[in-house]
Amino acid sequence: MELFKKTLDPVIALSVIALLDIFLFLVVGAWTVGGGETMMTGLIAKLFMGDQLSRIPFWDIVFKPDATYWKIYISLGMLFGAIVGAVLSKEFYWRVPRHLSEWIMITVGGLLMGIGIRLAFVCNVSTFFGLTPEMNLGGYLSISGIIAGAWVGSMIYKKVLEA
Amino acid sequence: MSAIGQCLAAFLFGSVVGLLVQRSRFCNTAALRDAMLFRTYRNTKALLVCMMILTLGFTAFITVGEGHTMHFDVGVNQVLGLFLFGIGMVLAGACTVSTWVKAGEGNVGAIWALLFTFIGMFLFSLVWSYMYWPPAPASMDHAPHLEALQLGYANAATLQAKTGIPAIFFGLIQFLALYGIYRAILRKEARMTGEREQSAATSTSPASVPATSKPSPAQTPAQQTT
Repeated sequence: MELFKKTLDPVIALSVIALLDIFLFLVVGAWTVGGGETMMTGLIAKLFMGDQLSRIPFWDIVFKPDATYWKIYISLGMLFGAIVGAVLSKEFYWRVPRHLSEWIMITVGGLLMGIGIRLAFVCNVSTFFGLTPEMNLGGYLSISGIIAGAWVGSMIYKKVLEA
Repeated sequence: MSAIGQCLAAFLFGSVVGLLVQRSRFCNTAALRDAMLFRTYRNTKALLVCMMILTLGFTAFITVGEGHTMHFDVGVNQVLGLFLFGIGMVLAGACTVSTWVKAGEGNVGAIWALLFTFIGMFLFSLVWSYMYWPPAPASMDHAPHLEALQLGYANAATLQAKTGIPAIFFGLIQFLALYGIYRAILRKEARMTGEREQSAATSTSPASVPATSKPSPAQTPAQQTT
């Protein structure tokens, strides 16, 4: 099949995703990832802590762990779709970062993404594919933040590349 | 729709998105980083086209009272949170979408980034439980609360309700603004291609071959990262 032999034009891919996102917006809500990841965090924490987790107010007031929260399944679907795409196009193989600097950047980057999502109540997906197309004020605030952050991150990344 | 139906719709949507993003190598991080660092716009153009379609689609349905908009108040925490997120996604080399997609390709770094995103979320849940800021969505009343750095709730639906002008009108204005950025990128790419062709034509002179045959250092990492 041609789809698995050569790279798809991202404009075509994102146009199809936009149409599907409009459909999702009509049936349940626009594409988002951060909320599902937060719920997964809560469910994983509950595995370790049991009912003790509800003593942390955030997990009692803001996000009560619930395995039927639909946003979780967007992320699991993306993982599944990517595995199918990678296996059928023979692009699945284990890739391990080789340098310590990469591990450090990924660790710090992951932590900042997690903290940033919870501080903002939104992630990059909600920003670009949910809030802003809904013309929500939060979309414009989030875009200003992510552009400034990406610029600072790019300057750090450039320094690391030069080093 | 039942909870199971919602989960099924979300999983089907996610599966197609994962497949399309994997096959197209689209990356939201690259859409911002490559435009800023390397002046390449492959992902930026796709992001803009997607936002244009979504703006028209969402505001058209909002006009007739359809669709599930995001309902929570916003404020300074969106700027601060996405600022931290923006730094993080460039350092990690992946955003929320590409961590899942790259994890599906066997990228151990992406799995590591996901793990630490979860840890970051849990750490912030502890901080939130101490300071209770930003306010929990359940306690929000859609009005501005400047003492809590909250600006309230506003979107295309509230614009329509307050002005009586259909939401699609505002959507069209946003569409044109996004299209203007898209056209500016196309013009910039055309200008850069012209400059490269001119430079290549000049380089046919034997004396200039060694100086111009090397790729520019700024272009090489961008090609590797897309």
